[in-house]
Amino acid sequence: MLKRVKLLLASAACALVIGQPAFAADEPIKIAGIYDLSKVYTFISPQIAQGATDYINLINSKGGVEGHPVVYTVGDHGNEPQRGIEGYEKFKREGYVLFDFLSSPVSRAVLPRAMKDGNPMLQTFVGRADAVDGDVFNWIFPMAPTYWGQAANIVKFIEDQAGGDAKGKKVAFLYLDYAFGQEPIPILKALAEKKGFDLQLFPYPLPGTDQASAWTGIRRYKPDWVVHWSFAGLHVIASKQMKRNKIPMSKFISVNWINEVDLKNIGHERAKGLKRSEPVVAGREPVIIQEILNELYAKGKGSGDVDNVGATYYNTGVAIYAIALEGMRNAIKSGASFPLTPAAVKAGMESIQGFDVHGLMPPVNLSSSNHGGDGKTRISEWDGEKWVPLTDWFVAESDLVWQEVKKHSAEYVKSGK
Amino acid sequence: MGFDWIFAGELAINGALSGLMYSLIGLGIVLIYKSSAVPNLAQGALAMLGAYIVLAFFDGAGIPMWAAIPLGMVVMFGVGTGIERFTLRRMAGQPIVMILMLTLGLDIFFHAVTLTLWGGTNRSLSYGIPDDAVEVAGMLIDFTYLAGGIIALILVAFFTYFFKTRKGIVLRAISDDPVASWSVGISVENGVGLSWAMSAVVAAVTGVVFGAIQGVDYTLALLLLKGIAVAVLGGLDSVLGAVVAGVLLGVLEGMASGFLDPLVGGGSKDLVVAGAIILTIIVRPHGLFGREDIERV
Amino acid sequence: MFYRQAGVHHSNYKTDSALFPIPFDKWSIYTMLALGIFAPAIFGSFALTSYLLPWMIWAGAALSLNLLIGWAGQFHFGYAAVMSIGGYTAIHATLAGIPFEIALILAGLMSMVVGVIFGAAAMRVKGLYLALATLAMQFVVDWVLTHVPAIGGGASATLQAPDMTLLGFKITSEVGYYYVAFGWLLLVTLFLLNMRRTGFGRALVAVREKDYAASILGVNSFYFKSVAFAVSSFMGGVSGAILVFCFYHAVTPEQFTVNVSIQLLAMVIVGGLGSIIGSYFGAAFILLLPGALNTLVAYVSELLGLQIGIETLAHLPNLFYGILIIGFLLYEPLGLAKVYDNIRKYLMVWPFGYSKR
Repeated sequence: MLKRVKLLLASAACALVIGQPAFAADEPIKIAGIYDLSKVYTFISPQIAQGATDYINLINSKGGVEGHPVVYTVGDHGNEPQRGIEGYEKFKREGYVLFDFLSSPVSRAVLPRAMKDGNPMLQTFVGRADAVDGDVFNWIFPMAPTYWGQAANIVKFIEDQAGGDAKGKKVAFLYLDYAFGQEPIPILKALAEKKGFDLQLFPYPLPGTDQASAWTGIRRYKPDWVVHWSFAGLHVIASKQMKRNKIPMSKFISVNWINEVDLKNIGHERAKGLKRSEPVVAGREPVIIQEILNELYAKGKGSGDVDNVGATYYNTGVAIYAIALEGMRNAIKSGASFPLTPAAVKAGMESIQGFDVHGLMPPVNLSSSNHGGDGKTRISEWDGEKWVPLTDWFVAESDLVWQEVKKHSAEYVKSGK
Repeated sequence: MGFDWIFAGELAINGALSGLMYSLIGLGIVLIYKSSAVPNLAQGALAMLGAYIVLAFFDGAGIPMWAAIPLGMVVMFGVGTGIERFTLRRMAGQPIVMILMLTLGLDIFFHAVTLTLWGGTNRSLSYGIPDDAVEVAGMLIDFTYLAGGIIALILVAFFTYFFKTRKGIVLRAISDDPVASWSVGISVENGVGLSWAMSAVVAAVTGVVFGAIQGVDYTLALLLLKGIAVAVLGGLDSVLGAVVAGVLLGVLEGMASGFLDPLVGGGSKDLVVAGAIILTIIVRPHGLFGREDIERV
Repeated sequence: MFYRQAGVHHSNYKTDSALFPIPFDKWSIYTMLALGIFAPAIFGSFALTSYLLPWMIWAGAALSLNLLIGWAGQFHFGYAAVMSIGGYTAIHATLAGIPFEIALILAGLMSMVVGVIFGAAAMRVKGLYLALATLAMQFVVDWVLTHVPAIGGGASATLQAPDMTLLGFKITSEVGYYYVAFGWLLLVTLFLLNMRRTGFGRALVAVREKDYAASILGVNSFYFKSVAFAVSSFMGGVSGAILVFCFYHAVTPEQFTVNVSIQLLAMVIVGGLGSIIGSYFGAAFILLLPGALNTLVAYVSELLGLQIGIETLAHLPNLFYGILIIGFLLYEPLGLAKVYDNIRKYLMVWPFGYSKR
């Protein structure tokens, strides 16, 4: 309870504008982060927003982006497309140049508008996977590996673990049975055929709390690896089922959505050996996280519970907005006039090269045709106390992934926008 | 390859156990419907609230789990009584649709209260059942499921007995004809209040049982749909019906995801449940054990 | 006051069965109509696209559902599924090159066929049992949308709505979308207003009140229930298509989940069963209130300088929303339409309160 009160006291109120009086003269850069803070995505949005707020506060306290303060407005859309659209329409009229919804249904509903109006929209890890195709989705910026890419990288890891040949290995793909979980299936199937490993699918239905029968199937399948496409508490349920079905944690590879809270709920000791694909470094070691701790939290200026700092979702929030602000910086450096136009922001984002926020993530390279970056991830393992990287940043089967991207974006073009 | 009996057996047993747990939430709905003919759409949110209250006693106040659960049940008894006293009683005599809507409002309200007080992050809850399983003839049976199923059976047995006691007969009289009960001196208000309180207590138990399996977060409130399906399938005024329907749905779901999912690419549970619902309605329009109403023109 | 009945005489059946016998009603309707027609000029483009347009579409859908629940007395827990069938059918049809007008009708027909199939299976039962059958329909439709790539759009799970051409006009602007939605709402409203006065409407009401009694009077309740299902599903399908084409411009399964079905139900119930103006109110209440409360709570906390965490700040509006629904039902259990009716009745006899019946 105490912690909760502390969070309340310490956090800046939502929807309040973060800005410093010092730059009253300068034109601010306005970013709208409208999230699902109250319904389905509650396990992630508050932490992403906390990370984003802290990073932006840090930048503002150092004089803003090239002297311009950043205004970051957080709102709630409750995972309802209608309210997301309302927020988009409102902020678009108030001169906001970047929009973030962090919800698949809302992103999909706003996408046609962002495309038509020409407003940059962030879409990291949510919404359409083919949006990395910058030639088609000019205004949409995932800025992160697709789930297809993550799946391909996981397969590469499995292959390397087997000494470079995955032939005959048994891979169980366990997933939450809706668009997010189903997404990697075509890539996995294609790779299974190409590499000769055995793939079996184990779906479980929404809301994902009933996994018993899927795990019964997995136990009898006796897989070498269990790849899990799910999030938050569902990992905890899976871990219990693994214990019952006597499947060792070391065979478990998760998509990036597994957080420190989940590990705590699984039990730190019991989670030992759990592996995941990660696009962003977790923990407090990265320079930027240290800086946030020293500059903000040590001075009581943090925007939330200090325990969250360094957690996976928190760092993901920092990373997303670090890339976004880097795009703004590029735009200003290249001489864009103020206030920034959406087009200038787009151009700035597309010229991000080799940006890694001092090692928080693999270097990000974006271009006008590639809005997703190189697709690099790494596999790391929980050793009971922290995440230990097992591989360096790598990318595999890029061609296959882009083939899938192009296939879908071509369908989008065909549907006549 | 012949039919895999062991596989089917395990799916059936675990399905039946989770079905028994579904019947817990169905039982909560039946209890209220039996006395006041109100289908309570807030039952899921009440289960969620119950689990969070138990956690508040356990985590927040540091009370051991064996004491936190009864305390939570006591608080929920109060909550249930309060709901009836301050909302339902004032709606007596209004169209049933409006009362249905009221319970939906209660659902939104309790959902929001819980999340406002405790936040949306998933929390774990355990009432001392290990996360282990016992293997019987090649079939793996989860302890938490087993415990949940047993708890459900105990509650059902209790309520079956309860409706044979004096107080239970009073409640049955109310459900039969509130006005007639009134005229022979039964306090309809207290009776309905009691049924809400009991249902809220059942909700607390439901929350704990499911919380131990899936953790405590908003997903507990989503159990409502399962509960409604179970309650209506069994017949809205039948305690026994809730159990039978729960087990039936559970077994069907388990079998479907084991045998049908590989064929249709997943999600066949929902299809099978939908099919079972429609079939039951066609064959037995008042649920498996529901009483057929005689309508007067 | 206002609703003056003085001078309103009926010397023939025609004037007696007029839609609005009281002049003030007539004039307020005309004013509303004018407001609707000139809305793009009166309201800013933000209010138009974010509030008026969705409100019109959802009011249309709520009216369609009200026909089934309010007039025919049949529950429907899966109306979002009906709408989704319309939306998906319209998109697939236009993508296949079928003109939008025909696609709209196809959307309605497809919803009608599927709706009636499920409705007919459940026609033996009433009340909650019927509600459960329609809930089953929601599950089946959800499953099809998420598991049949040819329908749901495969991995990206989205289908983009192509540009729409209605009666030879290419509609691309927000104002254009508004008029399409407005036109559809007008059609639905007119249909329902007039349906009340026909034999069909009265038969539905008879079935709703007591189907046995209705059949004794020679009203075939099975037939009328089926027709109500068919008509309501048709209108729901078209509403779904309009929602997708005019507002979302893309369709995903999440736009039509069981939550949306429950919201629609709430619109009808909170608004008032069998009331046309009630569905307008109900749609506004359920659709726009959460957003408005959100803004209000954020504003108040800013005003008072409260340091509330973003998460709590997002949950608080829901809490007030729940309280509002509960409190409002306790205050007026017959819905928003009844509140309107009370005010109207009060004004009708004001200042002569004693003449109230």
